Amino acid sequence: MEPKLAIRNLSKRFGDLQALEGINLEIAEHEFVCIVGPSGCGKTTLLRIIAGLETANGGEILIDGKGVRAPGADRGFVFQADSLLPWRTVWKNAVIGLEINGLVSQETREYTRSLLKLVGLEGFDHYYPAQLSGGMRQRVNLARALALNPMVLLMDEPFSALDAQTREIMQSEMLRIWRSGHKTVLFITHQIDEAVYLADRVIVLGRRPGRVKEIVSVDIPRPRELNVKRKPRFIEYVDHIWQLIENDVRDSVIEEGAHRGGRRLAGQAISQE
Amino acid sequence: MNARGARVSSVGALVPAPLRTIYARLGPQITSALSIAGGIALWELVGRLFVKNSLFLSTPSQIANEIAMLWISGELQMHMWVSGQEFFIGLTLAIVGGIFIGLVMTSSVKAEKILAPWVTALYATPTIAIAPLIILWFGIDIWSKVVICTLNGIFPMIINTDAGLRGAERHLIEAVRSFGATRWQIFWKVSLPSAIPYILAGVRLAVGRSIVAIVVGELFGARAGLGFMLIQASEVFNMSRLFAAVVILAVVGIALTSLAQALERHLVPWRRL
Ligand SMILES: Nc1ncnc2c1ncn2[C@@H]1O[C@H](COP(=O)(O)OP(=O)(O)OP(=O)(O)O)[C@@H](O)[C@H]1O
Ligand SMILES: [Mg+2]
Repeated sequence: MEPKLAIRNLSKRFGDLQALEGINLEIAEHEFVCIVGPSGCGKTTLLRIIAGLETANGGEILIDGKGVRAPGADRGFVFQADSLLPWRTVWKNAVIGLEINGLVSQETREYTRSLLKLVGLEGFDHYYPAQLSGGMRQRVNLARALALNPMVLLMDEPFSALDAQTREIMQSEMLRIWRSGHKTVLFITHQIDEAVYLADRVIVLGRRPGRVKEIVSVDIPRPRELNVKRKPRFIEYVDHIWQLIENDVRDSVIEEGAHRGGRRLAGQAISQE
Repeated sequence: MNARGARVSSVGALVPAPLRTIYARLGPQITSALSIAGGIALWELVGRLFVKNSLFLSTPSQIANEIAMLWISGELQMHMWVSGQEFFIGLTLAIVGGIFIGLVMTSSVKAEKILAPWVTALYATPTIAIAPLIILWFGIDIWSKVVICTLNGIFPMIINTDAGLRGAERHLIEAVRSFGATRWQIFWKVSLPSAIPYILAGVRLAVGRSIVAIVVGELFGARAGLGFMLIQASEVFNMSRLFAAVVILAVVGIALTSLAQALERHLVPWRRL
């Protein structure tokens, strides 16, 4: 079967820095794939290239076999930082993707309303982002990306700003949305247990240059309850992935420490944490 | 600690409870009103008891009387009408022109390079100093004052529009871009809304500068207007009339500035949160 999303021989340079090199990936329709790797290994860059927000220096991105270079309604991006427009209410933020693509209709409005309900924000339509908690804002971000009903969802550490409890609830919500909406999801996270809990496959990236180190298939049956995280099998997966990136993470922490305040690149990587 | 607590409560006990609640509600306004009333009373006292000679100082009662006389004779309305026309035409041109030039400046690097040196140089030039020249060019009627007013009000508008449009946050632009927004859509949905608070602050500055510009313009050459009334009064040492003009200008200035502030609050509701 043709993959939903194919990444062929992708590379990206920032000046002297080889951010990504020779990335090859195939992601099947309705697959949930998580990406983990040490800070600065190029996870965000990879996702931004797939989204069309950044251009690659080589290689290509195929969706349903067709090359893509610019952003489009077929892919939805959920940003790491809260990126709601402060002058728009929750509702107006949720429908902005529809507005931009000229798709506001009775039907899409009702769909957006159901999404806001799904993420637990019914009745908050007229609130401004400044009136919401961080968790609520991130849920609006999610609803906003889903409103266009994109078949591919690109998520860059979407839950990193949430507290542990909200995060767990969002994880199981995320699985529910993914299952019912038949989405293909590419999800970056720093938390290995989050990756193992959510993913069909976990892609482990290495750094300098950013490349695929290993792809781990997670054979834990679905639906997964939250208590699966305490099962030995689950912990084995987490340990295995942690060992894969441990040295890299150590290197990146040391390097960033040494360059802190000196080089701008390293500083940026720290501030993204 | 104990003694202080006791003192506070004993002072509180001196004021009856209902009065205290009224003060809690209206306290700040009452305090300001009392301050102004006290100042006026003191002024009146000094004028009646110490200075006496109304060539040096008019008392508030004399000024009020003068304002009433000017109103009854219709002279005041005539001057206000002339200055008001100059102000509204001049300010409107400054606002529209300033926003337009600000937009042009941000539209391309070339436009920026062409316009920026002029804007910077002219902003620092005291355009009021060339008021006599402008009166020579545009005549003694309202149009010379309109030009002086526009010249003074336009720079805060240009500079704030430019700064506001450039100040749009990158991650917000990216968020909209990820939905496939065109350049125009980015402008309308992100750059312009994020510039609105700056533009409105520019309007507030322009209002103040315009009032000063008109008065000074009229001092240099006019047939009517509040500034003309002021210079006429001072030439014949009619202090009550001079003060009347100053008081009216102050009141108008306060009223127009608070109007601009109210507009800001109304148009930028998300900033109040
Ligand atoms: N616009 C840019 N200009 C120059 N260098 C960049 C740019 N964006 C990213 N980089 C560099 O590319 C490398 C990869 O960055 P990226 O943001 O993709 O890392 P990441 O894996 O997402 O890190 P983190 O886990 O900390 O979010 C980093 O070294 C970063 O400094
Ligand atoms: Mg990142």
